[in-house]
Amino acid sequence: MPEQHEPDGAVSAAGMGGAMDLAAAEAATLERTPGGPGGAGPRGRPRSLWSDAWRDLRRNPVFLGSALVILFLVLISLWPSLITSGNPLTCDLAKAQEGSQPGHPFGFDGQGCDVYTRTVYGARASVTVGVCATLGVAVLGSVLGGLAGFFGGLGDAVLSRLTDVFFAIPVVLGGLVLLSVVTSNTVWPVVGFMVLLGWPQISRIARGAVITARQNDYVQAARALGASPARILLRHIAPNAVAPVIVVATIALGTYIALEATLSYLGVGLKPPSVSWGIDISAASPYIRNAPHALLWPSGALAITVLAFIMLGDAVRDALDPRLR
Amino acid sequence: MLLEVRDLHVEFRTRDGVARAVNGVSCQVAAGETLAVLGESGSGKSVTAQAVLGILDMPPGRITAGEVFFRGRDLLKLKEDERRRVRGAELAMIFQDALSALNPVLSVGDQLGEMFVVHRGMSKRDARARAVELMERVRIPGAAQRVRDYPHQFSGGMRQRIMIAMALALEPALVIADEPTTALDVTVQAQVMDLLAELQRAYTMGLVLITHDLGVVADVADRIAVMYAGRIVESAPVHALYKAPAHPYTRGLLDSIPRLDRKGRELYAIKGLPPNLMRIPSGCAFHPRCPMARDVCRTDEPPLHAVDEDRGSACHFWRECLDG
Amino acid sequence: MGRYVVRRLLQMIPVFVGATLLIFLMVNVMGDPVAGLCGERQCDPATAARLKRDLGLDKPVWQQYLTYMGKVFTGDFGTAFNGQPVTELMATAFPVTVRLTIVAILFEVVVGIALGVLTGLRRGRPVDTGVLLATLVVISVPTFVTGLLLQLLLGVAWGWIRPSVSPAAAFGELIVPGLVLASVSLAYVTRLTRTSLAENRRSDYVRTAIAKGLPPHRVITRHLLRNSLIPVVTFIGADIGALMGGAIVTERIFNIHGVGYQLYQGIVRQNTQTVVGFVTVLVLVFLIANLLVDLLYAVLDPRIRYA
Repeated sequence: MPEQHEPDGAVSAAGMGGAMDLAAAEAATLERTPGGPGGAGPRGRPRSLWSDAWRDLRRNPVFLGSALVILFLVLISLWPSLITSGNPLTCDLAKAQEGSQPGHPFGFDGQGCDVYTRTVYGARASVTVGVCATLGVAVLGSVLGGLAGFFGGLGDAVLSRLTDVFFAIPVVLGGLVLLSVVTSNTVWPVVGFMVLLGWPQISRIARGAVITARQNDYVQAARALGASPARILLRHIAPNAVAPVIVVATIALGTYIALEATLSYLGVGLKPPSVSWGIDISAASPYIRNAPHALLWPSGALAITVLAFIMLGDAVRDALDPRLR
Repeated sequence: MLLEVRDLHVEFRTRDGVARAVNGVSCQVAAGETLAVLGESGSGKSVTAQAVLGILDMPPGRITAGEVFFRGRDLLKLKEDERRRVRGAELAMIFQDALSALNPVLSVGDQLGEMFVVHRGMSKRDARARAVELMERVRIPGAAQRVRDYPHQFSGGMRQRIMIAMALALEPALVIADEPTTALDVTVQAQVMDLLAELQRAYTMGLVLITHDLGVVADVADRIAVMYAGRIVESAPVHALYKAPAHPYTRGLLDSIPRLDRKGRELYAIKGLPPNLMRIPSGCAFHPRCPMARDVCRTDEPPLHAVDEDRGSACHFWRECLDG
Repeated sequence: MGRYVVRRLLQMIPVFVGATLLIFLMVNVMGDPVAGLCGERQCDPATAARLKRDLGLDKPVWQQYLTYMGKVFTGDFGTAFNGQPVTELMATAFPVTVRLTIVAILFEVVVGIALGVLTGLRRGRPVDTGVLLATLVVISVPTFVTGLLLQLLLGVAWGWIRPSVSPAAAFGELIVPGLVLASVSLAYVTRLTRTSLAENRRSDYVRTAIAKGLPPHRVITRHLLRNSLIPVVTFIGADIGALMGGAIVTERIFNIHGVGYQLYQGIVRQNTQTVVGFVTVLVLVFLIANLLVDLLYAVLDPRIRYA
């Protein structure tokens, strides 16, 4: 294996399908950065790395914009009634495919449901799936990858092969196969599937970051001074490995939302009567000719949401990457 | 005069402010002469060289004033295309770290031959033959076989020889060597330096040797220019300068070389740090670190006083300094 | 070199076995393998039991897997829901998806690299900012939305293309679907090229090339691009496998009867043999593409030695 190849993320990312390539590969850039977050110095320095990054971010309009969008999304997924009084499941077939009218700015979909209300309520599914899947992936991936990178040996070798196995399965395909037999109406099968197929991505990043951090002089010094492995891992290595994981996880959150919509579009993600942008886009696509608005509004909401998370991750990555200063 | 730099100013515009890297450098190099430019990192010596050669990154760099006469033409007034033809052919540069300065994915033969292809319009085959000759000239064993090898396949010393061969390929009138031996092992340093000096004599070319290593300078240089905070603070023939420096900074540099006859005594160190180029001290830039500093040094910037007909010092009290 | 290839081939075996076993387990354990065999209706218990015995489905899963793989290596991928051998489906489906993938890769290479070079050399200018923003938007909009929108605009509203592709799926018909399939990767190729170019732009060897007095076009093509495109080329190579696996969405939107379509049919009709067969081939394509990329990488970058 040409060793230099791994960090490029190209091969590793490919298996996760288009939407996920970005996160992995962009993170790989971060991981590769000499003296970057992965290689930041002892206790004083990560703090200054983070405070430098925060100083940068506070002034970055891209960051502020995407953070505002995300805040808004979280609010309306918690309390959709804040901005709509309708009920997404109250539909009137007589109004099917009708366009915009007073009180119903986005018009009606093929079933005569109010597109505005459904679009607002759709945020909840997306945000729930995105946040839960990301948390699961980040925890599982960084624990497994971090331990493998720190202790090396047989466990590391097995884990590396296992990640290869998961990367070799195209993600949408895996979703179709696994979720097609699920009849549950909740978001949990989708979240579970994403964690199952998503953890190798984070684990690879965490493993790389831990290996980089482990080679730092101050870690060697701590080891020479007789610090216990647990202490070295938690106090010296984890703070440095955390930055790339956070960046990839943020970008991945966006791609998980896109993936949920894709799976719902293919009919194996969330299922009616759940309300989700993917379901609505899928349902609207046969009427694309007569009622394009039913397709465009949820699509737009989906795109803005994914964009917000990807741009947020992008901004954080730039802020944490000293080379771009 | 082969090269004459007059009152060169270079600054860098960064997010945090303007860094004044070069502040009025004037110097001359005659054909066949070796000028050593001495200074700490950040003193502006490499930036001066890059400005002369025209390879400064602009932006963020900017030449705000000055003239660079090379063989009677002001290089700064030439069109980029004319300037490019001078570069490499008449005026060449040797970089510090040959491993990163050579293209990792092209064979050394390609990189050497390229000089002949581009500047002389030679065929690839002829250029390849010339590349082998050059490699023999810098004494690389098995040149004919190794011409196809890539930079990473050579040792550090051999790589630097290739770098030298590339600079000398078209027998330029002037070569600027930017810390040519700093990245090498001490034993190899001498070999490479000797080779460079030998080739310089053979081709009677001018050589500007940028370095922070006083030891290297004494053997090969004819003249020395000492730089501090983007200015030349002392300029003198090498022996005169070693015998009696006319600037406290030069004195500090000389005193901080470990010497056998002072073994056991504490080594001298110039106090303080090199100045921040965004906030260069008023008056004489060296005054916060100078043991001889007086009030006038804080307010008045000293001009380059003529100590001798071929010697100058930018110190108000150069006479005192000269007397020790 | 030879030894390296052999070692890589050996390393591929556990990954291949693992990936196919995983899919095999997913399909057989999660689903009901005989569900699709009685046509549209549910099998009655007696028939189901007989079918299971006939197909060896009463044996332990690992044994089923071994039997299946044994057959696969003799070229027997089993039968699809309509009684056709799976290999016949593959023979019609794969050429279509391969054509689609070729179109997509061409887009990545031509448009992606061109935009990347343009922005990389004009960093910070309006062109750069504009293209960069566009790539973010393309990456953010899920492929199926891009596809539906392009279908709506080009196919329905403006009538430039037919909204669905004919069964023959000639190259001409696949241009827009290929663009849709490529879109996210294309945006990524642009960004990767740009970053790589900007990174190398400041490298010492580019400064050397300028110091040598080389004309700008030679500095850019021979020194800057030659180095900057190495990661891009390897990304595109590795993307081949991902594109073929990801084509399922694009094929569904434009009604292309390729690998994705057959897989989707197989899943909907719960035909185990079709699904496992196609996925096995896709995994193999993915692994071989990655092996070739690793070899290509070593060719492009002489610093890489086969360790």
